[in-house]
Amino acid sequence: MKRSTNRFLAGALFLGGLCLARPASAQVTIEVMNPRGEIPPPKTMGISPRVPSLDGKRIVLVDNGKFGADNFLAVIAQMLKQKYPSATIVMDPKPSAQTITDLPKWYPTVKQQGDLFIFGVGD
Amino acid sequence: MPGVYFTTTEFVDDAKSAAKDRGMPGIRMVALPADKYYRARATREELEPIAAAVYDQMVDDLVRPLTAEEAKPSQIQKQHENTNIKVTGTDYQDAYQKVNDLFLDSHWADGLPIVPPTPTLVKAMLTATTRSPDEVLGQAAPKNGTATVEKIAVNSVMAGAKPEYFPVILAAMDGFLDRHYDLTHVQASTGSFTPVVIVNGPIARELNFNSGIGMLGHGWRANSTVGRALRLSLLNLGQTWPAVNDMSLTGRLESYTFFTFAEDEAKSPWEPYDVSLGYKPEDSTVTVATSRNPAILGGGAVAPWTAQGILDAAVTQAKAVSGFMWVHSQTYILVLHPDCAYELGRLGYTRKSLEQWLYDHTSIPYEKLVEGSTGFGHAKVIDEIQQSIDDGRIRPDRAQIFREALKPGGKVPIVQSPDDFHIVVAGGSPGYSLLFSYPGPNWANETKKVRGATLTKAGQ
Repeated sequence: MKRSTNRFLAGALFLGGLCLARPASAQVTIEVMNPRGEIPPPKTMGISPRVPSLDGKRIVLVDNGKFGADNFLAVIAQMLKQKYPSATIVMDPKPSAQTITDLPKWYPTVKQQGDLFIFGVGD
Repeated sequence: MPGVYFTTTEFVDDAKSAAKDRGMPGIRMVALPADKYYRARATREELEPIAAAVYDQMVDDLVRPLTAEEAKPSQIQKQHENTNIKVTGTDYQDAYQKVNDLFLDSHWADGLPIVPPTPTLVKAMLTATTRSPDEVLGQAAPKNGTATVEKIAVNSVMAGAKPEYFPVILAAMDGFLDRHYDLTHVQASTGSFTPVVIVNGPIARELNFNSGIGMLGHGWRANSTVGRALRLSLLNLGQTWPAVNDMSLTGRLESYTFFTFAEDEAKSPWEPYDVSLGYKPEDSTVTVATSRNPAILGGGAVAPWTAQGILDAAVTQAKAVSGFMWVHSQTYILVLHPDCAYELGRLGYTRKSLEQWLYDHTSIPYEKLVEGSTGFGHAKVIDEIQQSIDDGRIRPDRAQIFREALKPGGKVPIVQSPDDFHIVVAGGSPGYSLLFSYPGPNWANETKKVRGATLTKAGQ
């Protein structure tokens, strides 16, 4: 009898506690859609193997036509000539300021002229 | 061919992003200190210490053996962008704030609050068009994100656009994503260009686009939210972000809504602009173009002006911004305020004759160009034009005109043909006349018909 009374009291206290407790705050969930376009991933490619030394190499300096790039690459050319006298320095400014349709024709000509290239100055 | 790229510290993220986009994430780069390089680049003497500081790294990048990852980089995995996101807050206000924080932190928003693009709201947007949600309009530069009707609807909801505006937004996106349109330039160039969006036809009136006083300003929901929907769509479909791969140096002066307005066809003395392009009067169209910030040519409520003075100012301005002489792609949009257009009509000008007048008066004597540099590297102006003739960028039917012009006594046009001057009537009475100019290297002007509208009488 005593055991059942205790159980009754415990149950009453539990229910009473539920009634007295502050109601749980109602959380709100907003479902949204992703605004970004999916990108078809490009096929990745490695970069070309390096050379063991610049000695004796033909180095093409590609001026991209932005203001000051010619000056900067001229300084680089001078430094290369001093440190690698056996190297050949080829200055090959981009032939045109028109940037998109010309390039596929022009890239192979850079490759024909040298073993390495240095491009600048990208901005 | 082994190589190394010089860039500057401000452009490293941009260069890496571009290299990854093109599938060569391992490209070796040397970054010059931007705070020193740009100040020093005018003279070799000042560049010497900058070059000396990076010289060893440059040589090392040319001789250091490749790592395994550089030789054979891991295949870039596709980002899955089609999964919905659930954001939970303690109440609606908290959840709304968290959505906005998430979108801005993810570089999906423009910095102003967005409307959360819930599936319900996106579905409502899609009801405004008969075009399939899965229809692909194109790949958006610079990262080539796939632009579907549904994705544009998501961005349109975010912008606060009404569903009935959606077919206009789609038509504008048709223009930006046209394969002839150089979207990369306006999305990424340091030149800080801004899109111009012009709505023509009955849908402009039905949707209450502003074409009068304040046409480039705030206060008209159609102008503001159509422009903002395009802003957000280009941001999210092309996946750009300022100072990462959108290198617009000043930002765009109308970055949030672009220059979005309608032609005031009722106050024009001529046929509507799009009708002059061959569309029918009952058609509705959207023209998108890339432009510098517009120049005010004259007009206004205080100072006196004349129609001839405005035309003369247009000529001066157009010649001033045509420096690179990319005549194959340069375009101009002359926005005449109604009083000026009326006066020009009274003087007997038609749209065609006005285009021809501008073409003739902006042409530059050959002798003034012969020694001129484009200001862009080593390219000379006349060589640049000759190359455009040789490779067909100047259309065959116009090439002979330019061949004749590139001789002593010749006059060299600054555009391919007179209709590269686009003349539109808009603004108040009184108002100002404006010139939008695009001296870009590739084509950036397209007009597309509004189609598939279900919630408006026009544009169906």
